[in-house]
Amino acid sequence: MPKLIKERVPTPERPVEERVKDFGEVNLGYTFELAVKEAERCLQCPENYAPCIKGCPVHINIPAFIAKIKEGDIKGALRIIWNDNTLPAITGRVCPQEDQCEGACVVGKVGDAVNIGKLERFVADYARKHGIEEELLCEFEETCTGERGKVAVVGAGPAGLTCAGELAKMGYKVTIFEALHKPGGVLIYGIPEFRLPKEILDHELAKLKRLGVEVKTDHVVGKTVTLEELLEEYDAVFIGTGAGTPKLLNIPGILLDRIYSANEFLTRINLMKAYEFPEYDTPISIGKKTVVIGAGNTAMDAARSALRLGSEVTIAYRRGREDMTARAEEIQHAEEEGVKFEFFLNPVEFIGDENGRVKAVKFEKMRPLEERDARGKRKIVGTGEYVTLEADTVIIAIGLEPNKIITEEARGLKTNPNGTLVVDENLMTSIPGVFAGGDAIRGEATVILAMGDGKRAAKAIDEYIRSKKASA
Amino acid sequence: MGYRITAKEDLSPIDYFVEVEAPHVAKTWKPGQFVVFILHERGERIPMSVYKAENGRIGMFIRKLGKTSMQLYYEYNPGDELWSFVGPLGKPIKVKNYGRVAFVSDAVCGQAENYATLKAMREAGNHTISVQTFEDRERVYPEKFLAREVADEYYLTTLDGSVGLKGHYLDVVKELIEKDKVDVIFAGGKLGSLAKLAELTRPYGIPTYATVRQIMVDGTGMCGSCRVLYDGEVKFACRDGPVFDAHKIDWEDAIRRNAERFAEQERLAKERYLEYLRAKGVI
Ligand SMILES: Cc1cc2nc3c(=O)[nH]c(=O)nc-3n(C[C@H](O)[C@H](O)[C@H](O)COP(=O)(O)OP(=O)(O)OC[C@H]3O[C@@H](n4cnc5c(N)ncnc54)[C@H](O)[C@@H]3O)c2cc1C
Ligand SMILES: Cc1cc2nc3c(=O)[nH]c(=O)nc-3n(C[C@H](O)[C@H](O)[C@H](O)COP(=O)(O)OP(=O)(O)OC[C@H]3O[C@@H](n4cnc5c(N)ncnc54)[C@H](O)[C@@H]3O)c2cc1C
Ligand code: SF4
Ligand code: SF4
Ligand code: FES
Repeated sequence: MPKLIKERVPTPERPVEERVKDFGEVNLGYTFELAVKEAERCLQCPENYAPCIKGCPVHINIPAFIAKIKEGDIKGALRIIWNDNTLPAITGRVCPQEDQCEGACVVGKVGDAVNIGKLERFVADYARKHGIEEELLCEFEETCTGERGKVAVVGAGPAGLTCAGELAKMGYKVTIFEALHKPGGVLIYGIPEFRLPKEILDHELAKLKRLGVEVKTDHVVGKTVTLEELLEEYDAVFIGTGAGTPKLLNIPGILLDRIYSANEFLTRINLMKAYEFPEYDTPISIGKKTVVIGAGNTAMDAARSALRLGSEVTIAYRRGREDMTARAEEIQHAEEEGVKFEFFLNPVEFIGDENGRVKAVKFEKMRPLEERDARGKRKIVGTGEYVTLEADTVIIAIGLEPNKIITEEARGLKTNPNGTLVVDENLMTSIPGVFAGGDAIRGEATVILAMGDGKRAAKAIDEYIRSKKASA
Repeated sequence: MGYRITAKEDLSPIDYFVEVEAPHVAKTWKPGQFVVFILHERGERIPMSVYKAENGRIGMFIRKLGKTSMQLYYEYNPGDELWSFVGPLGKPIKVKNYGRVAFVSDAVCGQAENYATLKAMREAGNHTISVQTFEDRERVYPEKFLAREVADEYYLTTLDGSVGLKGHYLDVVKELIEKDKVDVIFAGGKLGSLAKLAELTRPYGIPTYATVRQIMVDGTGMCGSCRVLYDGEVKFACRDGPVFDAHKIDWEDAIRRNAERFAEQERLAKERYLEYLRAKGVI
């Protein structure tokens, strides 16, 4: 039994004063030496018991890959991770580890959990920079014949990209149809550079290209091409269109200027690079006092982006501190960087100036009850007391729902009342040969769940096409 | 990839015609729908109405207004490529036999939609009435770009009366509906005029549909930049429109949002660009 070391090996981070001035990555990740040191904290729980494996939604064999790090065998570690997760550089950075793998780690019961996320990220980053990934990738190239059949993937977010990669490795010819001018989904338009540098995504896309996947950007399925047309040309279709439509508040003043949905704010900044205006043509308009409404990852990303554009930022949330849904690391970083938090405030009205620009938000104070809702959060009720926060910029980050473009056009696609697609246990939708996964079937969820769906759907699509071809 | 420009021509001192090869869009485009393009890697996503979709090409009427529309005019020529071109976006209008259909317009996007809509309406068996308003003689488009050829009844007006009728389409509409039956009116162009048109036709109960231009980013319902209040409810112009029942739109907010949101930044970008053009001796 190795000796238990309660404290984590810290990962280097850029100092607050420096990082709030730009959009460069905040956490710098482990060096080789630090990674080995952290890996040594893992107790190597047996595979059939290891709680961390159960905590990971795609059940990566965590003790096995950590053992490889200890041995200095990064290629071996990557091979193990790739069995279940082809985007570790991304998930290592964005998974809510404290609720998943790390939340279950036994070391966490007595000290800090093993830093599984940062170790996973280390393996991916090290392998990418040292040509190790390249070697592993070559092993797949033989199987990428593109001769097994043709599959169309709709949406180039993590679900679609994973599904495409898996199918390509199985020998299918895959074409991705993406509405925007760049692939990546939320990874490119939502999550900022300071959490996920775009070069990592570019690298993943280059990998897919090598596997023979074609990406058609500027194609909105349901408008540019219909689902029916895709079904005529392809043996199967995977829908990974995400949950990209922002929910807005139905309260007075919603049309005032400088009130953004988090999606608009982040898309202008990340996808369109408005923070480099006028070098880039897309503008953004921000004042000195920003109020962000909501407390998920989207709210943290919007808040920290606003801060980097020179505004003071307050996050106003209608529930309490312990109910916030963002990753722990993001909340911590936001606080370090000077974002203020106000709890139990529910917005009831936006107040504008004479030019139609927002100048304040009126909130009702809320109070928690003992009773809990379906998600285990304390219920809240209004107190009848109101406060007003000054704000010349407001960002609404209260959630997202599936985009209706595809379901409005393809009437045969059954949806649930919340707009998500109905799928069976094989992730097949109500239309035979059409599969779906990620936020399109779950509503706003996580990158790793979207990836897991993409992978599972690829297997189901393979079986579907084989049985179809066998019976033909 | 790139989308090749196949033609470019002046329409007037302020507006121009440009045609782009985009077969993926031309194949399924229907009147009422728009496109979004980006000039280059650093460019902005620009929504644009469609004048014609033929032979895999999309024709558009564009006003030299700010940085992007001027850059396309001064630096892009047939043979050059646009970086991104997506569509068709938005909902098509319902093309059917209404009887007597009018399209009225007083600005660049509206002039394009005027032709596109009435062409389809005429093919559907309607009696088509086109009213096109221009500022003055100088700004009237060449004959081949007018909607006259798709109109059974055609009115050209200029604000100063230098050619055609003197006045605005609003004056013509008033006369038209007082003397004759008009079953449905479509309109495009300046938002302020569309708001007035809605008030003009409301007492007569004539169905009136208008293109509600709003500042957009994605054009697919993903950001809410283009939101409008329709019948008291938030709708996205790109996804639920851009053509809406003009009687149900909150015009005041729509007009302000389209003009003010990024006015400061747009002015800056335009000045910088004009300086660049002057330095290069282009203007
Ligand atoms: C700001 C923000 C921060 C987040 N932070 C985290 C985090 O830290 N950790 C985490 O695990 N999760 C996070 N999430 C959630 C996570 O990003 C999503 O769960 C995940 O991206 C879902 O993947 P997806 O592939 O299902 O869809 P998406 O990533 O939404 O991709 C869908 C793609 O489909 C395209 N599309 C949509 N409709 C069509 C159509 N009709 N035709 C063609 N293309 C179409 C879209 O343009 C998009 O590119 C965050 C989300 C946001 C918005
Ligand atoms: C559905 C729709 C159809 C349109 N059709 C046409 C058309 O047929 N011909 C034409 O000339 N213009 C049309 N427009 C307007 C056109 O998109 C803008 O004129 C263009 O974005 C101006 O860009 P710019 O950089 O040249 O000017 P900027 O300096 O960026 O903007 C000048 C003005 O254009 C408007 N504008 C700016 N950015 C946008 C944007 N992303 N979306 C919408 N409006 C914006 C604002 O009112 C702004 O004040 C249409 C807009 C919409 C939404
Ligand atoms: S994929 Fe996510 S949950 Fe699974 S091990 Fe990696 S960081 Fe943990
Ligand atoms: S639970 Fe923790 S200690 Fe056990 S194998 Fe997983 S990471 Fe290692
Ligand atoms: S332009 Fe983004 S939702 Fe309409």
